[in-house]
Amino acid sequence: MGGKTALKAIQRQEGFLFILPALVFFAAFVAYPIIYITRASLLDWNGLAPGTWVGLDNYVRLFRDDPVFHKTLRNAGLWTLLTIFPQMFIGFGLAVLLNGPILGRTIYRAIFYLPAIISPIVIGIVWQRIYDPFGGLLSDVARRTDQMWLSQPYLADPGTATLATIAVNVWQWTGFSMLLYLAGLQGLPGEVLEAATIDGATGFQRLRQIVWPMLRPVHLTLILLGLIGALQTFALVFILTRGGPNNASQTMPTYIFQQAFQLSSMGYGAAISVVLLVVALVASLGQMRLLGSRFVVGEGD
Amino acid sequence: MHASVPGKPLPAREVWRRIGTQALVTLLAAFWLIPVAMMVSVALMPSASRDVLLGGLVVLRPTLENFAQVWRDNPLPLFFLNSLLITVPTVVLVLSISSLAAFGFSRLPFRGSGFWYILLMLTLMVPIPTLVIPLFQTAKQLGLINNYLGLILPYTALGIPFAVVVLTSYFSRLPRDLEDAARLDGCTSFQVYRQILLPLSWPAMAVVFIWQFMVSWNEFILALVLMQDEGRKPLILVPLIYNGVYLSKPGALFAILTIITVPVILIYLFMQRYFISGLTAGSLKG
Repeated sequence: MGGKTALKAIQRQEGFLFILPALVFFAAFVAYPIIYITRASLLDWNGLAPGTWVGLDNYVRLFRDDPVFHKTLRNAGLWTLLTIFPQMFIGFGLAVLLNGPILGRTIYRAIFYLPAIISPIVIGIVWQRIYDPFGGLLSDVARRTDQMWLSQPYLADPGTATLATIAVNVWQWTGFSMLLYLAGLQGLPGEVLEAATIDGATGFQRLRQIVWPMLRPVHLTLILLGLIGALQTFALVFILTRGGPNNASQTMPTYIFQQAFQLSSMGYGAAISVVLLVVALVASLGQMRLLGSRFVVGEGD
Repeated sequence: MHASVPGKPLPAREVWRRIGTQALVTLLAAFWLIPVAMMVSVALMPSASRDVLLGGLVVLRPTLENFAQVWRDNPLPLFFLNSLLITVPTVVLVLSISSLAAFGFSRLPFRGSGFWYILLMLTLMVPIPTLVIPLFQTAKQLGLINNYLGLILPYTALGIPFAVVVLTSYFSRLPRDLEDAARLDGCTSFQVYRQILLPLSWPAMAVVFIWQFMVSWNEFILALVLMQDEGRKPLILVPLIYNGVYLSKPGALFAILTIITVPVILIYLFMQRYFISGLTAGSLKG
């Protein structure tokens, strides 16, 4: 028995050795950068010359005097609400349809998920052409059907730029929600599944009252992942609008990039980074606490 | 057109309902595909002609001249190679480091290992754009701008947590009889990991492999900042290079978009099963 305890003791030491490489990477590329931005956010610094200490000035400027930053906060709210819930509802609808007696389910599933594997930059350039008021897809449809309201400078109008960008995101990521809901539906007991086919008014009610609540773990996972995704959106905004026009579609990530790499305000960019980090951590941890969302992992398909 | 149980014909109402659902799904799928179809159709657009409808979604006289031109004029294989030289080492590193860690977490728990696990998981909530300033400055100091390692190392760090979640939960569900027997025969922990657990865990490794491949292949903001030398840029940055050059030649630009996207789509179609089990990697066991 003594040998076994000794073995256990060695195993305990060994455990740390096995996770050490992962921790080293964490320390170097996650923990250290977080300390770095916290320190840099207290500097007036262009990234080349040594910075000057300004205390909390960057934060004061952000919250008190910077209308662009206020726009990024509003846009963070829009991105969170208008990507997460439409993606959930449409994704759920598609999953219910595909869960019924459909021929070629795998093909449809592949089609709806397809946008999620394509580079956001490619997607952005294609959608620019769809939105283009001069000869784009929507404007051509508008001209041919005489519905001129369809032809708008979606990306060039401050009033619609953010929404138009969000719409592309919904198109790209709804298939992801669909996949998770489909797997969720397939994990439900048979009698419930019976109810999960659209069958007139009663079918819809059963869907809403029985099936939807049973998929709570899926909803929570999607809300958590959607929140994290919405807060770090960069590529789509960068390619579609560069945060414009007149900063209307600026997000915290694109604003960090603009300040740090185009205006050489590394200190100010670092302060925005810190705010974004705090928002992301508070929102996701808070959500995990309040709703019980988590990154759940179990059996595959 | 609909299969039904032999000897038990479906009522007419049910048949119509199924046909209706099928039609609806087909319509939605066709609608969903419009942007992808447009990427290809604009690439087939002749540069001189005006024979296009719907912004290029319908091309009356399709041609492959755009593909020939962009392939001839640009070092596209080089960009593919750059993407591979960044992605493959990242995936290998993520798999080795995460499987070691997952073995530690699931088989050799020690005081405080729960704390380290949660700390690692916090990475999943850190928006990548918040790391871009320090990663750029550090890479500059270490001379890692335009160096593949400048992307490989942070990608690895950012990929480890998700891989650890997937692998730890997979390891935890594997039976331990074999390992116990090996231990009694005097195998070290590393031998148990290397010779018993790793060979058994390929389904989970495949999931991590594909997921990490996709994530690294499509990562944008760090690549944008760290890869400034054209010869070192990965595919994701390629459309930006040509967005200006081919401003007046959308056909050529879209041919490039198609060339860089089609391989990804093909791989996805072939490995769909793994993609999907990776995503649903049980996110549903609440």
